[in-house]
Amino acid sequence: MLNKSRLYWILQIGGWTLYAVVQIVVAISSSEVISTKRIIFLAYESFFCFLLTHGFRTYMNSNRWLSLGMPRLLPRLVSAIIVMAVAMYFLRIPLSVPLGLFNNSLVFDLNNILGLSLVYSFFFFTWSIVYFTYNYFERYNKSLKLEASVKEIELSNLKSQLNPHFIFNALNSIRALVDENPDKAKMAINQLSNILRNTLVTEKKGLTKFGDELKVVRDYLGLESIRFEERLKTDFDIDPASKNFLVPPLMVQTLVENGVKHGISKLTEGGVIQVKTKVEHGKLSIRIRNSGQYHATNGHKRRGGLGLVNTSQRLKLLYGEDAYFAISNEKDNFVLTEIIIPPIHTT
Amino acid sequence: MRALIIDDERLARKELTKLLEEHPSIEIVGEAMNADEAEQMINDLNPDLLFLDIQMPGRTGFQLLESLESVPLVVFTTAYDEFALKAFEVNALDYLLKPIQAERLSEAIHKIMEKERAKIGRGAGKKLGLEDQVFVKDGERCWFVSLANIRYFESDGNYIKVYFDANRPMIHKSLNALDDRLDERAFFRASRKHIINLSWVEGIEPWFNGGLMVKLRGGDKVEVSRRQAAKFKDMMSL
Repeated sequence: MLNKSRLYWILQIGGWTLYAVVQIVVAISSSEVISTKRIIFLAYESFFCFLLTHGFRTYMNSNRWLSLGMPRLLPRLVSAIIVMAVAMYFLRIPLSVPLGLFNNSLVFDLNNILGLSLVYSFFFFTWSIVYFTYNYFERYNKSLKLEASVKEIELSNLKSQLNPHFIFNALNSIRALVDENPDKAKMAINQLSNILRNTLVTEKKGLTKFGDELKVVRDYLGLESIRFEERLKTDFDIDPASKNFLVPPLMVQTLVENGVKHGISKLTEGGVIQVKTKVEHGKLSIRIRNSGQYHATNGHKRRGGLGLVNTSQRLKLLYGEDAYFAISNEKDNFVLTEIIIPPIHTT
Repeated sequence: MRALIIDDERLARKELTKLLEEHPSIEIVGEAMNADEAEQMINDLNPDLLFLDIQMPGRTGFQLLESLESVPLVVFTTAYDEFALKAFEVNALDYLLKPIQAERLSEAIHKIMEKERAKIGRGAGKKLGLEDQVFVKDGERCWFVSLANIRYFESDGNYIKVYFDANRPMIHKSLNALDDRLDERAFFRASRKHIINLSWVEGIEPWFNGGLMVKLRGGDKVEVSRRQAAKFKDMMSL
């Protein structure tokens, strides 16, 4: 991208040169006699316009006019244009009179002053429009870019991460299994490594196939079953059409983990986790049920609450208002978490 | 040393049992899978040491400790409870991170043994003496407090303020109930409002209405009511 101040100089010099050239060409074509005096005068005029507008820009920058709102900017801008136009009128006199282009007696004629100032005002006004339009446009662009990068940062902050508590508990169970049931221990190591691999890979990905996410969820629940043994029962009911939907990685896993953490692990007798998906009206609906009770905005469950807020923000950032997310109590002993995700068509 | 393992996961209990086989000085007298079971077993078996998981269904490990009158030595076992562990005063705490490493377990047991040796005559009676410790939780902070360090207790509505070091956390209990549990050779009911630790008494002055003013080490002053004053004089004299 072109350097901003270089662009200014190109436009400033180029613009006023063009102004001079056009004036000269018009002057030449309208009168048969080409007067050198006139050419000198027009060049002189352009040069002073150049100096004035540059001075104006310096003044505006040091007074931060670009950050003023329209109501405050407009009167300032109009006054500045008038001052510059009148100044320009008097600046031309030292040259135009000696050159004989201007009648001495007309110099202080009010009509003359007003008329010519108006002409100059028009040029300065045009200059200001170009200047401000460019700057506003650039600012807007910048804020758009900023917004995009903020969104990206937010998304990566909201991305689910594997809970260390889960990893270490799983490793502890596996350690005990090594003696008790070596085959089961081997399987558990595979499940854990699948989950870890998946997390490491998906950290770079924005979205993942639901089929892959489901594998992580199955492995996750497999490991938790080793830990909770008969206290955790699982039930899957998956619509085959759901596997190719793109979903935020680890989102379902996080919600299932929430169900285990706040539901199953709090129940002495344990309970059930059920994952059910269905494709309806082209959208993917995921329903997660877990035994237990959901207490909204319960003081000491802030961490769980934060997880839910994250999920809902993440969905909003990715899908706008097209996604749906809700958590509610179903009967007195089940919590239902529901997500509806619209299709995203990426290759 | 008689130990109780408290953890809701069978495999976790099994793993710890296996690791403890290397330590014949620790005898596992029982395993509990939740706080209620543990409380029962602690009352029945009176173990010297608890290996305690913090996160459990029902009551947590902390809630279990709060409900105990006298707390045995405790080693927490946890996978990753940064927040819970930070609540503790560093010196009061010993914990093992799961999966437990054999060397860390040896260190912890070594430390426990030293603490145990420092205690003589513990568990002689049912009453709480200076060698016993209690678990105090006030908001986010937790302490294991040796009764020897407590200068006095002060009743405050339905609560008791416990004065030790620079802290005075509150426990939800009545002063009468506490008085019944304390060894009367070590603690004295000075008035309706106060129980003092006799080992902290530094000076005694006569006070109004035949009462006494007791000065404790550290500068605290506690009034002994007229009714208790005579009893107090008896106790303090040979």
